[in-house]
Amino acid sequence: MESILLTNCKVYDGKELLDGEKHILIEDGKIAKIAAEKLSVSENLKIYNLKGLIVCPGFIDIHAHLRDPGQEWREDILSGARAAARGGYTTIVAMPNTDPPVDNPFLVRYVIEKGRSSGGARVLPAGTVSKNREGSVMAEMGKMVEEGAVFFTDDGSPVKNSSLLQKALLYSSHLDVRIMEHPEDNELSKGGQVNYGWCSSISGLKGNPPSSEVVDIKKCVALAKETGGAIHFTHVSTKEGIEEIKRAKSEGLPITCDVTPHHLTLDETMVVKSGFDATYKVNPPLRNKEDVEALWQAIADGVVDAIATDHAPYHMDEKDLPFQEAAFGIASLECAIAAVLNEWSSRGKICPLERLLSLWTSSPAGLLPRQWSDLGVIKEGAPADLTVLDLDKNKQVKVEEWASKARLTPWEDASLKGWPVMTFLEGKVLFCDTDRRC
Amino acid sequence: MEWKHKNLIDLDCWEKEEILHLIDQAGNMEDLLNRPIKKVPALRGKLIVNLFFEPSTRTRVSFELAEKMLSADVVNWSASGSSTAKGETLRDTAWTLESMGADAIVVRHGAVGAASYLQRKLKHAAVFNAGDGAHAHPTQALLDIYTASKHYSSLEGLKIAIVGDIVHSRVARSNMIGFKTMGCDVVVSGPKTLMPPELDYYGVRYFKDPREAVKGANIVYLLRIQRERQEQGLFPSLDEYFKLFGADEELISLAEKDALIMHPGPINRRVEIDSLVADGPQSVILEQVRSGVAVRMALLYLCLGGAR
Repeated sequence: MESILLTNCKVYDGKELLDGEKHILIEDGKIAKIAAEKLSVSENLKIYNLKGLIVCPGFIDIHAHLRDPGQEWREDILSGARAAARGGYTTIVAMPNTDPPVDNPFLVRYVIEKGRSSGGARVLPAGTVSKNREGSVMAEMGKMVEEGAVFFTDDGSPVKNSSLLQKALLYSSHLDVRIMEHPEDNELSKGGQVNYGWCSSISGLKGNPPSSEVVDIKKCVALAKETGGAIHFTHVSTKEGIEEIKRAKSEGLPITCDVTPHHLTLDETMVVKSGFDATYKVNPPLRNKEDVEALWQAIADGVVDAIATDHAPYHMDEKDLPFQEAAFGIASLECAIAAVLNEWSSRGKICPLERLLSLWTSSPAGLLPRQWSDLGVIKEGAPADLTVLDLDKNKQVKVEEWASKARLTPWEDASLKGWPVMTFLEGKVLFCDTDRRC
Repeated sequence: MEWKHKNLIDLDCWEKEEILHLIDQAGNMEDLLNRPIKKVPALRGKLIVNLFFEPSTRTRVSFELAEKMLSADVVNWSASGSSTAKGETLRDTAWTLESMGADAIVVRHGAVGAASYLQRKLKHAAVFNAGDGAHAHPTQALLDIYTASKHYSSLEGLKIAIVGDIVHSRVARSNMIGFKTMGCDVVVSGPKTLMPPELDYYGVRYFKDPREAVKGANIVYLLRIQRERQEQGLFPSLDEYFKLFGADEELISLAEKDALIMHPGPINRRVEIDSLVADGPQSVILEQVRSGVAVRMALLYLCLGGAR
């Protein structure tokens, strides 16, 4: 395998931005050396001069819908994994709400194998909590872990039966795999199309109230407390939801959460201003400005454990429709990091850069089973999964250039500042949008 | 005045002067309707398609009459028995009609955003919103403002009480915007389950007691209560609704002496309105219907015709 030398780069190692510039030698897919001085160069070496750029542990997205098996007209594991690599990710977690759902060890294996041959990011599967994602019978969680499942979730919906969730928390306690809950009370959100409040009032669309998220979070926190099981709340979108999680964390409960790029950068007013453009239609809905503010504050306060895309691609024909008839979901893998970096800058860098970077690297790595804990760090001997950021790069989002099958995104034509420009998976260049090769 | 609008999606982008100008024009159109020969050639050679995905009698007929009075060529397209029934999307239907040479499309659709969606998708044809889900019904608001204007020299400062199912009502939304633009004091009442959670945007006050809302009002506007709302559990029974919020003579007596009683129709007698009120001397419900043709003529004329 070809060796690679990255020179003159700033390094974020998963904990902090290291002082000065570093030189990183990659051999046999691993980080062989990190040095402050120039390394003596042998032949047969690819050299990239990364002056002014930041080398980070490969970014991890713990929530992506790859639609495979069964809905390949929307996305498949190949297109999704390649899109992820182009978007700056080296590891993504594929959601199991496919058709059929990933609720057994064979499908877990299928996702891993297809991911391996994708030429894109590493694909780690999440399995469902319940068989057929129906919320009645527990799926074979133990067997799925043996095949490589890294989360259990009925995402797309909450675990529909509280009693099953309680049992799953108890049963999975020895498996070292977390349960990821999509926090929503389906009765309260039934028929909801947009945020309840200003947006639902003006649009005449049924509102999905914050209480839907909060009620489910409260219920799950109570179950986590009772069972000792760990719960990860995904795509938390409301101020009140964050407050519940903050409270549970302060009690020392095994609760974690992620927020999405779209809930950090978009709000309900855009639904109205765009004349009800369905690219803004998503579940949970875009909330109000106060909620967006609260999510950023939660990042600054250390309440958030990951930024995860909830990349939810649809075919044009399911999305390019009048708002009320269109599918829920925002596709973002290929611009999510840029969207967040851009917003972070325009909000006056509300938290230190290291905090933000940790939410794509060491922090989500810590949510995965222990065997993956090396993914979030840069250290000698660790696999060379790397993401290179150019914080000054300006680029316009052009969805037609995407590897994803999605052809609609709310960021289309947006000019964003701060982009991933390279990704390495186990020492192999997956994506390179820079001419730094020497 | 120079007329800048080509489409009408909702009234939120219209100025008061523009509404006044349209009302003026509608007055001229109404004079025209009273002549023995009603037709004028203003839109001769223009093709207008009425694209109705939801059943509608008064809006569709009134648009059609308006189009015909202005000598436009008119095609009526309803969802049943058309390509929609064969699975064609709204976009494809619209593109097909535009390819056939439609200059304007009047659209009624059950989905919020359908009209603005069409406006984004069409290259040339103008779009007139005849109702999109619970979002907007701007021509209803215009004809209501026109009707009220016939009874009051100015609407500035008048109090209008809208009572009923606001949250599901496109008529209420467009009227709240329209009457506010005209300078009215707009208040609403109805059970809280039928109210939008936020009214600040509209600058409208909510009264849980309809008597408070109606007190001193110059216009009392009743909204149709759909039976399915009761089935959805938003209030316990139609009878209870009438008892608490229905407009009977007692409630109306709290308004100004000659207050106008309005309703977009079709009315539910003894649900939102008592027959004595609906058919009483203050009721202008049928006048509203008559206004519809003149107002839509004025709209089409201004947006498509000679004024441009």
